[in-house]
Amino acid sequence: MKNFSHPSRTTGTVGSLWFNFNVPIATSVALGLALFISLTIATPFARANEKTTTTQDQRTADILNDISSAKPTPTSNPIDRPQPQTPGEHWRELISFFAPGLITAVAIGIAGSVCGVLVLLRREALLALALPQVVAAGAAVGLRLGWPTLPPALLAATAALLYLVITRRNRRHGNADAALPALYISGLSLSFLIIAGASAHVEELQNLFTGIDVAVTPARAWTAAPILLVLTAAIAFPWRRWLLIAQAPAAAELAGVNPGRWDALFLVLLTGVLLLGTDSQGVVMVLAMLFLPAATVLPWARRIPTALAAAAAISLLMVAGAFIASNIFSWPFSQSAGGVGFALLLLSHLSAMLLD
Amino acid sequence: MLIQLNNCVFGYDKRPVVQVEELGLHAGRCMGIFGPNGAGKTTLIRGVTGLLLPMEGVIRRHESLRIGYLPQHRALELHWPMTGLDAASLAISARTPIGRIDRDNREKILASMSQLNVTGLANRPFAKLSGGQQQRLLLAGALAAEPQILLLDEPTEGLDVRSQQTLLELLRDMTVKGLCTVIISHEVQDLMFLADSVAWLHPAEMPGQPSHVEILPPAQLAERMVHVRQSV
Repeated sequence: MKNFSHPSRTTGTVGSLWFNFNVPIATSVALGLALFISLTIATPFARANEKTTTTQDQRTADILNDISSAKPTPTSNPIDRPQPQTPGEHWRELISFFAPGLITAVAIGIAGSVCGVLVLLRREALLALALPQVVAAGAAVGLRLGWPTLPPALLAATAALLYLVITRRNRRHGNADAALPALYISGLSLSFLIIAGASAHVEELQNLFTGIDVAVTPARAWTAAPILLVLTAAIAFPWRRWLLIAQAPAAAELAGVNPGRWDALFLVLLTGVLLLGTDSQGVVMVLAMLFLPAATVLPWARRIPTALAAAAAISLLMVAGAFIASNIFSWPFSQSAGGVGFALLLLSHLSAMLLD
Repeated sequence: MLIQLNNCVFGYDKRPVVQVEELGLHAGRCMGIFGPNGAGKTTLIRGVTGLLLPMEGVIRRHESLRIGYLPQHRALELHWPMTGLDAASLAISARTPIGRIDRDNREKILASMSQLNVTGLANRPFAKLSGGQQQRLLLAGALAAEPQILLLDEPTEGLDVRSQQTLLELLRDMTVKGLCTVIISHEVQDLMFLADSVAWLHPAEMPGQPSHVEILPPAQLAERMVHVRQSV
């Protein structure tokens, strides 16, 4: 008779560690990694044979064309001909041109990643997924009526929060669990229904979902970035309070702390980050920054402050990686941030599984 | 006398849940709370501590009363990354403006941890500690906040026999030193070891009526429980 040992008890060698994985998780992680690597390698070759940019949105293409056309044309006189740019000069020029977009992306990255750690720990991921869709629906109203997008988006987010608070207070009616998925799909559907027939604005709405790339105005950057950083501080500093109301709400109440009010404050701060982030650089960038850095660092985190700092550092890596990738491969910026974040997430989770 | 209740009824939305004729909490004494699930133990505790106003009756409380709470270690959300020191800091963090722990408070927590012999666990991941170690850390934190009354919710639930005994002895020492402890427990043995008196909640026989509280010595509770088991 053969003596079979349980796979989960097999330890010792790297090969045997493979059997310690949950097979479906390990398979999907491996497939994801393979897909990402193949896309990374294949896309530049595919792009070399293409005459037109297909993944890059029109607005970014226009901006890149503007940069090319702004460069002086070569002259026949060698004295008049400008010296060729060094790579350093080339990148400095790009950074200076895209500075507003980069500053906003960094602020969204820091704010999103710090919020994201607490969102995942508080198990509020579905809320964070649903709110940007609601914000987009509000913004669609603004686009349709020719107003600025932020005020109607703010109204929509406030209405959604009120709806959530009411449904959570009346849990026994059974609609609290349905509220978030309902808001998610309603926001996704309504935003396009509101804009249907107004073809001039459809592209703007699509940009709001897929990312507005680095075409952010300086005015928007200097407004959004400081507010996002203030919201980050307001979320990060009371980290012990979030820990307390998650672990011992009764102890909090006995000490005069109202967990309900702190929960409401967290929702308001999170909504602020999602609202400003979505309105500045689109749903993809906000969600990438919210979930990927947090999910990357949490398997390694021993304390909340270190998790918050590490997530913020990962978000900066994502912005830097996305900026380089989007300029070298002409990839869209937000999706590049998501791709870099996903690669880091896979590395982190694979390492954690191997070392577990 | 720290808290005294007379002819109080506690409930929610005009629905009475629990009725208590007389109940007093004193320094250096331990009160046990015993009763089946749904009898209103939580409602009674909320009423006693002032988190729930009485629908009827009178409550007298000592001025500026500090009430601590030791949560069930099984009820903690262990996916939150925290060290032993972070967990022990929970109780004091509830009493500072945004939960910040300054140097004085940190020293208080460390001193309390040293008293309970858990200083070595300060930097260890809380989730990886045993149930007994987790409970001792939380107790050290709760005591560091210098409460006059300490509420304990099923403190020995899920602990091995040795950890149970260690924890119960610690709690008895604290009570002897003057702390008032209120222990919610299904374990008659724990109540016999610790409590001076037990509030036994009897569910109402008629729907819509509140449970009523009977105060009795723990030995009498044990005796009656033996009778109940024999009759079953």
